[in-house]
Amino acid sequence: MRSLLNALYDAAAALAALCMVGLLLIVLGGVAGRQLGFYLPGSDAYAGYLMAACGFLALAHTLKRGEHIRVTLLMNALRGGQRRALELFALMVASLLALIAAFYSARLVWQSWSFQDISTLNDATPLWLPQLSMAIGNAVLAIALLDDLQLEWRGQRTGSADAGDALHNE
Amino acid sequence: MNDLAITALLILALFAILGSGVWIGLALSGAAWLAMQLFSSRPAGDAMAVTIWGSASSWTLTALPLFIWMGEILFRTRLSSDMFKGLSPWVQALPGRLLHTNVVGCAIFAAVSGSSAATCATIGKMTLPELRRRGYPDDIAIGSLAGAGTLGLLIPPSIIMIVYGVSADVSIAELFIAGVLPGVMLALLFSGYLMFWAWRHPAQVPPADAPMSMVAKLRASGSLIPVLLLIGAVLGSIYAGVATATEAAAVGVLGALILSAAQGSLSWPSFRDALLGGTRLYCMIALILAGASFLTLAMGYLGLPRHLAEWIAGLGLPAWGLLMALTLFYIVLGCFLDGISMVVLTMGVILPTVLKAGIDPLWFGIFVVLVVEMAQITPPVGFNLFVLQGMTQREIGYIARVALPFFLLMLAALALIYFVPDIVTYLPRRMRGG
Repeated sequence: MRSLLNALYDAAAALAALCMVGLLLIVLGGVAGRQLGFYLPGSDAYAGYLMAACGFLALAHTLKRGEHIRVTLLMNALRGGQRRALELFALMVASLLALIAAFYSARLVWQSWSFQDISTLNDATPLWLPQLSMAIGNAVLAIALLDDLQLEWRGQRTGSADAGDALHNE
Repeated sequence: MNDLAITALLILALFAILGSGVWIGLALSGAAWLAMQLFSSRPAGDAMAVTIWGSASSWTLTALPLFIWMGEILFRTRLSSDMFKGLSPWVQALPGRLLHTNVVGCAIFAAVSGSSAATCATIGKMTLPELRRRGYPDDIAIGSLAGAGTLGLLIPPSIIMIVYGVSADVSIAELFIAGVLPGVMLALLFSGYLMFWAWRHPAQVPPADAPMSMVAKLRASGSLIPVLLLIGAVLGSIYAGVATATEAAAVGVLGALILSAAQGSLSWPSFRDALLGGTRLYCMIALILAGASFLTLAMGYLGLPRHLAEWIAGLGLPAWGLLMALTLFYIVLGCFLDGISMVVLTMGVILPTVLKAGIDPLWFGIFVVLVVEMAQITPPVGFNLFVLQGMTQREIGYIARVALPFFLLMLAALALIYFVPDIVTYLPRRMRGG
């Protein structure tokens, strides 16, 4: 189970990294196209979709590496049981919010699919396809948070609340 | 329920969720969810999904992940030692000697990196041990690095400017160009202070290294030429109007890869680490942006920004009074929140007020970046403080204290751009051809 979950987070992160490479290639393609006189229709929209996919798919991996930032002033001031209680509370709230986000982004995909929503930009992509990345990314994040919650509950969670780790932020 | 009570309740709820340690992006969307459920008839969940999708896939934001990636690649090159070796022969003659490697090094690295923490870490990795070995006092070496590291935000490319540009709907290219002169000005202020310090404390400045011949100096700096070319390509193409910020960023990533290959530091592990590191950093920011876009929507529904703008306009505050109040507000907020969260959290509410007071949103962007720079070195929450704490094993309080003169210099810079707004607006005007 453990290795299956880790594989899920890693696979989503690998996909996110691929989207980042794709984003670079599309933008470079646009630059080259202008120099060489060809045009990639809808490349701006595709760049946006790839960026979104990159962000959403990496959510769980980033969480597991402790790189999502949070305010830890209160957390660091507490010790022992109180700290654990606050950590559990934060994880519960976060899990709940991630579940809500996952549910409604899946609903958005379903709505776009059933109404056959088409992008209004000149790429004319059926919108449910790129929106799938948001639903999947949020779902994996919810899984990762629930995973952290049960680990914390059983006292097996390692390395949390490490804001000092955020080396390259901003 | 009246507006004041709603606002107070929302702010209270937001700070309660934030304070309990819920990840910032999720906390923002949680507060927004609460606001919409309680005070509006529109279904909150669907509004959330549509808004977040719209902001997360918006083309204007695509410069952000690319510039982040570029910085991550350069962070993993030999740039930090090259920078120290290349700069030190030239600054020997200045009062304060090698302390200036901190300022000049940070200013140059800031021009290829969008992050102040990365700037601080990259330059400090080499300068701090070298300065200490030569006997420079820790106080001024660490203080000047803490201050100069924040140039990463002001000198383009800059993550925070992209975030501001997207939330305030201001051209990112113009913001970048607007940051150039204030960035150079701030670097000069820092260097000027170092000279003043050296003049006051001549006994604490160690002797110069052995003099080098001109040829040797030039050879030592030769390794910096590719970096300067990269800066020229990225900023030059934006200024000349041949590339958008996104395109310049993509070219920058390519250039960074070539530079790191030419140095021999490009390998599969380093490429993978930079790519994944960049992806994670972007993801961290994307989560905050997503939450903030939903919160901005929710506050718009409640009419908070409009009410606030009307209320403040009703006070009849002069523009400078408003700006002073905002400076104070951001400095206090910066004690608890990071810069990006600060900008995205407040822009939706404050921007209408600022526009109503007749303040140029482009100028205001640079103002906000400067204030956020100050927030980077105010305890207890400041990313540069965290980075320096990790590098020097010193207390946050100590680092904040030695950085204080530089904090005051940034306040002086704020006053300068207020009295001479041309420092900000001259280059963007030239760029537009006006």
